[in-house]
Amino acid sequence: MTILEIWLGILQGFRVTALVTLYGLVFAIPFGLVFGVAQYLTTGPARFVVTSIIEFWRSSAVIILLFVFYYALPLAGLALSAMTVSAMVLGLNIGGYASQAVRAGLQALDRGQKEAGHALGLSRSTILLRIELPQALVAMSPTFINQLIQLVKATSLVSLVTLTDMTFRAKEISQIEYDPVPIYTSLLLAYFIVCYPVALFGRWVERRINPAREAYRAV
Amino acid sequence: MTHTDDKPAVQIASLNKWYGAFHVLKEVNLTIPSGSRVVICGPSGSGKSTLIRCLNGLEAYQQGTVTLGTIRLGDNARETALARRQTGMVFQSFNLFPHLSVLSNCTLALRRVLSMPRNEAESLARHFLEKVRIPEQADKYPAQLSGGQQQRVAIARALCMNPRLMLFDEPTSALDPEMVKEVLDVMTGLAHEGMTMICVTHEMGFAREVADQVVFMDQGSIVEQASPLTFFTTPSHPRAQSFLNTLLH
Ligand SMILES: Nc1ncnc2c1ncn2[C@@H]1O[C@H](COP(=O)(O)OP(=O)(O)OP(=O)(O)O)[C@@H](O)[C@H]1O
Ligand SMILES: [Mg+2]
Repeated sequence: MTILEIWLGILQGFRVTALVTLYGLVFAIPFGLVFGVAQYLTTGPARFVVTSIIEFWRSSAVIILLFVFYYALPLAGLALSAMTVSAMVLGLNIGGYASQAVRAGLQALDRGQKEAGHALGLSRSTILLRIELPQALVAMSPTFINQLIQLVKATSLVSLVTLTDMTFRAKEISQIEYDPVPIYTSLLLAYFIVCYPVALFGRWVERRINPAREAYRAV
Repeated sequence: MTHTDDKPAVQIASLNKWYGAFHVLKEVNLTIPSGSRVVICGPSGSGKSTLIRCLNGLEAYQQGTVTLGTIRLGDNARETALARRQTGMVFQSFNLFPHLSVLSNCTLALRRVLSMPRNEAESLARHFLEKVRIPEQADKYPAQLSGGQQQRVAIARALCMNPRLMLFDEPTSALDPEMVKEVLDVMTGLAHEGMTMICVTHEMGFAREVADQVVFMDQGSIVEQASPLTFFTTPSHPRAQSFLNTLLH
């Protein structure tokens, strides 16, 4: 097998890697936003419940969650597709991290922002949506980009639940062709090629939001 | 219309507030007629900020009543929100929204609270920016302005909501000396137009020129309340005397 053939073989898994990432975001973004905001706004028992849910997804080992949801749930009568399980587990795991960035971003804002909103007669939800969240999300955008890159890399685990992503393809090829060095080097490069543009995109986002941020950091 | 001429703009009766065990406001009574200008002064920690924050719901209190015009705060949620919307507040640290342009800082509440159409909100905002003498800064971001300009934006932002009462909490104490005057000039202009104002400040020149009552607070109580002339020339309370002495030095 030539290097080109290895490459083309790995590339056949790209679609699955990309899909798990995208569907993962469909879980991660709403979870991170809703739970981050909920943790910020709640107190007492409600906060305990919110925190427990976040910690479950954030602190469990992804690989075990994949096995549990894919192999054990069907025994309880709930069979989810490998794609659904993968997107959900990886997405909610990253979403758990993202929720902490959302909460921290909100908590880091000056108390005066909320007070100025109240003094103008704005409702709590308007203050959150128009004043607090825009500032918190912008401040945390580098963290979100990091988490997106982590999500892409974490998709390599889905080969364990039978999805033919790039890692799965590499394993297949290395079983036919016992030559692990070029195969896994190619795989390494393949993830880099996917992740690097994301990192570049992150820098672009940061530059775009920077004029306004530079402006308000200056004082 | 919630304020009528026969009703005082603000009536504070037997107001008491505690932070845990700390009694921060002690039996505060104060009546502020419509159209009057009250300056509150006193040593650091005497409760000045806490008192004016109680007037627009930024602080809760445990005993007593605050009545703005005809609305007693806390009686009825809808009316309390109305009274609060008709009370403008200017903070020591400006508290402009840094992610919004100067114009959007001014139009946000008009659009979201009063549901005013964009054009109308913007022309109203430009009118008040003109009034505080910075119409040309409308499209900048707050951080691109000097402190004095930012504080004038904060005043314009509050005026957009057509307040019956303006509260100022040390509006000039975060400013460099050369910018204090431009802010005080705007406030003096407002006073001459008949705006009811309560202002925590140690700018005694402003108090002398603009105030019709000076309220001196110490350790959570109002210990002296007098016209500026009386307060500055013959303060009766020894703590007011020593406070004025420290200000002069
Ligand atoms: N959130 C709070 N929790 C506990 N104590 C507080 C809190 N806010 C203020 N205090 C205390 O209440 C007292 C009055 O505070 P306040 O800010 O009203 O004083 P002030 O007269 O405005 O002082 P300054 O001139 O320094 O602004 C102070 O002793 C302060 O430490
Ligand atoms: Mg204060």
